[in-house]
Amino acid sequence: MKQRKLGALFLLSAVLLISSVCATDANAQVAMPRINFQQKTLPNGLRVLSAVDHSSPTVAIQVWYHVGSKDDPPGRSGFAHLFEHIMFKATKNMKSEMMDRLTEDVGGFNNAFTNPDVTVYYEVVPSNYLETLLWAEADRLSGLTVDEPNFKSERSVVEEEYRQSYLAPPYGMLEYLIEQQSFTTHPYKRPTIGSIEDLEAASLENVRAFHETFYRPDNATLVVVGDFDPKQLDAWVARYLAPIPKPAIPLPRVNIKEPERTAERRITHHAANVPLPAIAITYLTPSEKSPDAEPLQVAATILAQGESSRLYRSLIYDQQIAQSADATPDLREDASVFYFNVVLASGKKPEDVERALLAEITKIQDAPVSAAELDKAKNQLVTNELRQRETSNGKALALASSAVLLGDPNRVNTDLARLQAVTAADVQRVMKKYFTPANRLVIYYLPEAAKTSPTGATTDHRREQQRGSSALPATSGQRGGQGK
Amino acid sequence: MKALKLRVCDFATTWLPQVLSLVSLTLCLSIPAAVRAQTPQATPPPPAPPRSVQFPKPVEKTLPNGLRVIVIERASTPLITAQLVIKNGGEVDPPEVAGLSNMVGDLITKGTEKRSATQIAEAVEALGGSLYSSTRWDSTRVGVDVMSSKIGPAVDILADVVRRPTFKDDEIERLRQQTLDDLTVELGEPGSIARYVAARVIFGDAPYGQPLAGTPESIARISRDDFLKYHRRWYRPDNAILVLGGDIKAREAFALAERYFGDWKKPAEPLPPLPGPKPVASAEPRVVVVDKADAGQAAVLVARTGIDRNDPDYFRGLVANSVLSGYSGRLNQEIRIKRGLSYGAGSSLDTRRNVGPFIASAQTKNQSAAQVAELLLGEVSRLATAPVPDIELNPRKAVVVGNFARNLETTAGLVAQVATLAVYGISFDEINRYIGNVQSITAGDVQRFAGSHLDARGTSIVIVGNAKEFLPDLRKKYPQVEVIPISELDLNTALLRKKQQTN
Repeated sequence: MKQRKLGALFLLSAVLLISSVCATDANAQVAMPRINFQQKTLPNGLRVLSAVDHSSPTVAIQVWYHVGSKDDPPGRSGFAHLFEHIMFKATKNMKSEMMDRLTEDVGGFNNAFTNPDVTVYYEVVPSNYLETLLWAEADRLSGLTVDEPNFKSERSVVEEEYRQSYLAPPYGMLEYLIEQQSFTTHPYKRPTIGSIEDLEAASLENVRAFHETFYRPDNATLVVVGDFDPKQLDAWVARYLAPIPKPAIPLPRVNIKEPERTAERRITHHAANVPLPAIAITYLTPSEKSPDAEPLQVAATILAQGESSRLYRSLIYDQQIAQSADATPDLREDASVFYFNVVLASGKKPEDVERALLAEITKIQDAPVSAAELDKAKNQLVTNELRQRETSNGKALALASSAVLLGDPNRVNTDLARLQAVTAADVQRVMKKYFTPANRLVIYYLPEAAKTSPTGATTDHRREQQRGSSALPATSGQRGGQGK
Repeated sequence: MKALKLRVCDFATTWLPQVLSLVSLTLCLSIPAAVRAQTPQATPPPPAPPRSVQFPKPVEKTLPNGLRVIVIERASTPLITAQLVIKNGGEVDPPEVAGLSNMVGDLITKGTEKRSATQIAEAVEALGGSLYSSTRWDSTRVGVDVMSSKIGPAVDILADVVRRPTFKDDEIERLRQQTLDDLTVELGEPGSIARYVAARVIFGDAPYGQPLAGTPESIARISRDDFLKYHRRWYRPDNAILVLGGDIKAREAFALAERYFGDWKKPAEPLPPLPGPKPVASAEPRVVVVDKADAGQAAVLVARTGIDRNDPDYFRGLVANSVLSGYSGRLNQEIRIKRGLSYGAGSSLDTRRNVGPFIASAQTKNQSAAQVAELLLGEVSRLATAPVPDIELNPRKAVVVGNFARNLETTAGLVAQVATLAVYGISFDEINRYIGNVQSITAGDVQRFAGSHLDARGTSIVIVGNAKEFLPDLRKKYPQVEVIPISELDLNTALLRKKQQTN
């Protein structure tokens, strides 16, 4: 949308895509310019990644905290994201909104996003402001002093964000359901935006405890890309960030495993404001660190990117039964969810569209994709990545996601080779392995008018699999990430 | 966010527009005195001296057939954007077939004398690129973004779709149904409805008042003959501009233009005259509520006419709008930051060939819609009543400059900006004068601009939401409010109502 802080929805899959399709490769048709980066870890545990690029007199600064909505405290869904908003309020040395004074007021900008695995803060400023921003990031890593009125006001903003992203748009609730219903056990079952009730229950004490638990140098990665002098950067990092102490208490980590699905599950949800019915099908897939991640991305591209993709050709163009058809390999740290969402063309039946979608899945399982399709998908993924990396901020995102989410910053330069190595047999293998009936969740998203069951909005045809706490909120939700 | 609006998965680009970075500033704005350093740790260190900036300079030539070709060389990333611009868009649609130009833009990519719709998509996507066409007010942009090694075949396809579309009946019917479904989805969103209603409220039955993508009724009326006529009339080399930007040399770009567009014949008949300035329907402001009981949030707009792109007040307008809009602009300060009433409030001064709209907007829970309308209106009025202090004005000017520079940082952004200047006949010198022009604007300029162009007394209010939650409050101040149930909304006319009846 027009406004920067309205527009900061980051899909995790997009962030991950960066990290898996890049780097120089002799066989690639276009060499991806290398990102020549430096890395070091300070004694307090802070990891620092940097890359010089003098092409414009600006610098991108990012701080990645390895905490996301999967770390929301119990009964506080949406808290990691709410906390991200609070990080723009008062600190010991900064008044509320001072980050905007240091960025926006000098022609730069700032924003942040939260997804299930990470919370990321970023600024782009004229390069002469680098030292100022390092000071500011150090200050908010050191502690917050937000007061009750500011906390409550920002909580209202987040509630409006919930309404704007999930209640107002016609298919917001479908996005929420995909996220909430795809997992039964792992905390990924709590959508990043949370619920109004849980947001209302959040307190200043929760803010203090969350900062103390997760906002610490050994849980953070600083990334600086752009126009700077490396020696100067080292000196400023030593001055502002190195003195922040590492707490003695250990960092809590989620170690809950999502169990494998054992039988198809079906949900029908009736909602207000559904202009055309929609369906979604989700499959659990492994962590983004799995070698199957690249073939899954290639499969999603072949199935749904562009008007020559299989789903567009079949569902939208030839059969004319869909208004839109998407495939998203929502890659995550602990377990991923690959999902399809299809809005029906007017007058079509969800059963027919489901059958057509499943037929396309069977087709890509039964025969290898053609060499031309494979090449096309790789070209599309490389072009997307080139576009990402036109800016320092895009380069910083690519570098940090490799380091934080894939565990190796070098992946930013080596993943193009991994992508080029994907074969038609790999694509067929992952499609057969994960896209099974037993691993399937099917959601029908229908207008209220089509409702026949008087018992409530959602009918879960296998209720025994629903966890007690995952009752649907009265409203909608979200999938990948949530912006400032 | 965008994913469900697109027909196909486009996951890598869904977040791209948000990831902007900044080219540069020659502005040197010191941080406020209150936060200047005393001790190194308690206050931010001051900035180092700024670096200066150089924007790439477009070069151009006009082919004998009248096609203007513009090239911007920038080799930093191995990407090229090629964009063919037709200098007309929705403003030349006859009212009974509103949405015609938009459908023409879509249909040209759905079949040519040489290639079927499927072959076009396959050919361009095999290059890793995507072919897009975007119809807007005053222009239609057809383009491709590709790796630099693929530019030749990409321009071949671009030329083919622009010059030789076939408008086959089956493609027309397929697109007609898709367009109707897209409208159905779009009109489920309070913000979209509010923008369509605002255009009618401001421009009445004049061209900018009609929905760019048409209405269900107008879409149903368009015939194959309408498409052919539109294409013949407006898609011609002397009404077009080809812009190539990125990792390409001017010499190669001109050669590509000659090769694929050189034999594009200019028709014998003269180019039709552009529509002149249309009188704006009604100076009388309206207060319109569209009652959508299932709206999960209300969209609130205040709207009026603004200025055209060639208005001498253009830069005054940009700066005035920036005082209101942006994260730290007054609207967001009052509505989001101080009161928590919205995820974001802002405004836009949309300058076009003729006078375009000025719209201030926010989405809020239904119960606070009337309060938000008053806050929007109050801030717009306040701009005319007192000068903006320099301590506020200078940062807002920095925002304008920063946004401008960031837009030029990507290949696609650079091409889009240059294409817009070309459409409105503005000299490319403006690119390098831009920063100076913004810096020269004074508080007096902003106040005068607000007084003459943003007078709140000429401003209408549009709210789309669950009316029973906010109508009593709104009625107290605006007893004349028009309430239109969503089922009776008719975007075909300025009346906005399917049948005449009283509230």
